[in-house]
Amino acid sequence: MLKKCIAYSVSLLAILALNSLTVFAAQETAAKPIPVWMCIPFAGLLFCIAVLPLVKAEWWESHQALAVAGWSLLFILPFGFLFGAGAALETVLECLVNDYLTFIVLLFGLFCVAGNITMEGDLAGSPRVNIILLTIGTLLSSWIGTTGASMLMVRPVIKMNAWRRNRSHILVFFIFLVSNIGGCLTPIGDPPLLMGFSRGVPFFWSLHLFPIMLFNMVVLLFVFYWIDRKRYCRDMARGRKPDISKPGTKIQLRGLHNLIFLAMIVAAVVLSGILPDQPMFQDAEGNVRGIHIFGEVVLSFPAIIEILIILLAAFLSFRTTDPVIRKKNHFTWGAIQEVGTLFIGIFITMQPALAILKGMGADLGITEPYQMFWTTGVLSSFLDNTPTYLVFLTTAGAIGFTDGLATTLGMVPVKVLTAISCGAVFMGANTYIGNAPNFMVKAIADENGIHMPSFFRYIGWSLTVLVPVFLLDTFIFFR
Amino acid sequence: MANEEKDLRGLAGRIYDLDEEVYRELGSSLGRVFNGKREDCIEETVRMMQERNEAHILRNELALISNMARTIPEQESKRRIMAKYDEILKAVTELPASFIKGDILDTKIAQLNTLNLQSRFSDSDHLIICIGRTYGCGGSEIGFTLADTLKINYYDVEIFDEVLKRLEAEKSTVHDKGGYPYKKGGRDNRQYLNEIPAFAPAPKSTLKEKLREFNRYHGLPKKDAVFFNQSDLLCDMAKKEDFVVMGRCADAILTNNRIPHISIFITAPLEQRIHRVMEVRKVENEKKARHLLTRLDKAHIKYYKYYTGRNWGKARNYDLCINSASYGIQGSVDLIMRMISQEK
Repeated sequence: MLKKCIAYSVSLLAILALNSLTVFAAQETAAKPIPVWMCIPFAGLLFCIAVLPLVKAEWWESHQALAVAGWSLLFILPFGFLFGAGAALETVLECLVNDYLTFIVLLFGLFCVAGNITMEGDLAGSPRVNIILLTIGTLLSSWIGTTGASMLMVRPVIKMNAWRRNRSHILVFFIFLVSNIGGCLTPIGDPPLLMGFSRGVPFFWSLHLFPIMLFNMVVLLFVFYWIDRKRYCRDMARGRKPDISKPGTKIQLRGLHNLIFLAMIVAAVVLSGILPDQPMFQDAEGNVRGIHIFGEVVLSFPAIIEILIILLAAFLSFRTTDPVIRKKNHFTWGAIQEVGTLFIGIFITMQPALAILKGMGADLGITEPYQMFWTTGVLSSFLDNTPTYLVFLTTAGAIGFTDGLATTLGMVPVKVLTAISCGAVFMGANTYIGNAPNFMVKAIADENGIHMPSFFRYIGWSLTVLVPVFLLDTFIFFR
Repeated sequence: MANEEKDLRGLAGRIYDLDEEVYRELGSSLGRVFNGKREDCIEETVRMMQERNEAHILRNELALISNMARTIPEQESKRRIMAKYDEILKAVTELPASFIKGDILDTKIAQLNTLNLQSRFSDSDHLIICIGRTYGCGGSEIGFTLADTLKINYYDVEIFDEVLKRLEAEKSTVHDKGGYPYKKGGRDNRQYLNEIPAFAPAPKSTLKEKLREFNRYHGLPKKDAVFFNQSDLLCDMAKKEDFVVMGRCADAILTNNRIPHISIFITAPLEQRIHRVMEVRKVENEKKARHLLTRLDKAHIKYYKYYTGRNWGKARNYDLCINSASYGIQGSVDLIMRMISQEK
């Protein structure tokens, strides 16, 4: 197994190295190659996100939009020069209209609705309470989405641990479990699974991933318990103590009616996966109908319906909730603004990388489940996990397996589909940019007096905690 | 040196106040950057400023305050607070960022020789003597005799009883992990109240009871809830009266809360302790007595380490360590009295 893994890693690197100069993109650029150097703006933006908060924090905070615009132009202009202004405009609009718009509206909706629910009480953050909160969050993720669960649970977690000094690790494990791993059980949980659902994977098929999720959850919670216990003891030794002067715990949830709006958003997400397959939303050629924007860019009617429902839910949530709740929650627009700004740049500049991946997917020679798990996972750590999932699902469907689950992309063995799904969902936790809620949680924690790890330190946490767990997954589930 | 420390203390106070003001303006309930007591936080901030290799941590904390300040919705307050923040940031930036020849890494340690007992207590401070002791060394008797001699209160299991009252908990469900097993009918009933073996395994409870306890103790483990309440109680008592307190990590609790006290550790060679345990507890078997002592020592080491991060019985954590076998009960009390009379 180990030899196989080494051989696989070496061959993957060799393929990438041999294809170093130009790679043929599959889509709109037709036979024209997309040079690998076009990924430089993406790498540059990632570098800025990772390094500038450390070396020029103040400048970075006020100039994020400028950096994003700069790196985006560094991609768009050469792309326009090579492939024509029309192709550049079409590529940008395609990613903005079809990917970014629904992505940010969903985040916005969940951010607004969850910000209107508050928990008041004097439950004290201890390893035991944190384990309970993380377990609830993880189990909730698959049913209201990783973003929904993250936004709903992050404030109670911060609040209960407000008495502690060492608490950034709680949010790191929160990102691992609630913002990522917990979302693997249904298509509502994480967008890649929704993409699989719309490609013929049954809605409840992902429940098969429960043993894997449970294994990861148990191992990570075990590790978390010991780390948290150590830091909890350190806090006690320094004389920190929670306010437990009154006997008995009183917990009060306010703004609970917002759960209705949360359900509306979840329904909108499910609809966005179901409606495109309905005949009334398709034209004679089977394409999804919508508003034509430019070239082949179309804002589909199902997407419009999703956006409208989410925006309506957010609006109603704001209209019907007492502003005091938002004040108690320290609700600000900072987190969503930061994510909105950075991710627009990430979405635009990662287009060449995704196009290259689409072009190369079939040439990578990846057929084994462990290969699918790691390749999908590592790429999902930095790229958007939805297209990455789709690339490898397409690759698997095109291999010509005769046994497995029938999807619209072909027959995919259950083990391979499991590996792709787990890789895309789990490994989004590897970096802050791996999944949108990661960054949201970080931004909210930063705004509430918690010193979150830097980009690289967070990767350090992933390498030391997550990667060993994923290796165990490989040996147990994906051999 | 003194002026410099005063300046740093002033700056640290401004930082703490700024954080408090930001939090108040926001009206948030999610917690703030400096979430400890004012004095503790100022002390810690001053230490960070003095230990220049930790200056980056201070700047990070300031950045967190500014993150919060930037989200203040009211523009006028935001401007005012950001102006204060800029001033503080400027002052912090002007602090030396690296060591120069002759710098002292930890001034507190360097001042240790002047931080003696004579200057520890001010006129308004109460005399508090914290005694840690191994089981079977006669420590409780020494503590009791000392309190009797000084005509001050002696607290051991009474603290635990008071905590139970505060928590509205039944004694049968909580064990006094900070104390030692006692038996009834001893020399003084006040000294021998606790019948439950201190480190006995907790009795099994039903799910309903567990949920009730979860609610009663704010989700904390029972022993932690007891410890936190003990801490509060000790600090309250320290403001009101002189007393001798046995065990319960009182020395560490009072140190953390910057309450002046004298800490003493009493022990004796194992053989002597075995002999005493066999005599006092009427344990006939030496092996059993040895086993009891080993078990209690281990449990106490673990308990003390868990709540204080310190090593129990390590001489550097105490003002005085006594081998009671060398001095006897009265001899040990006299020794302590001599030290106290010099101090007071």
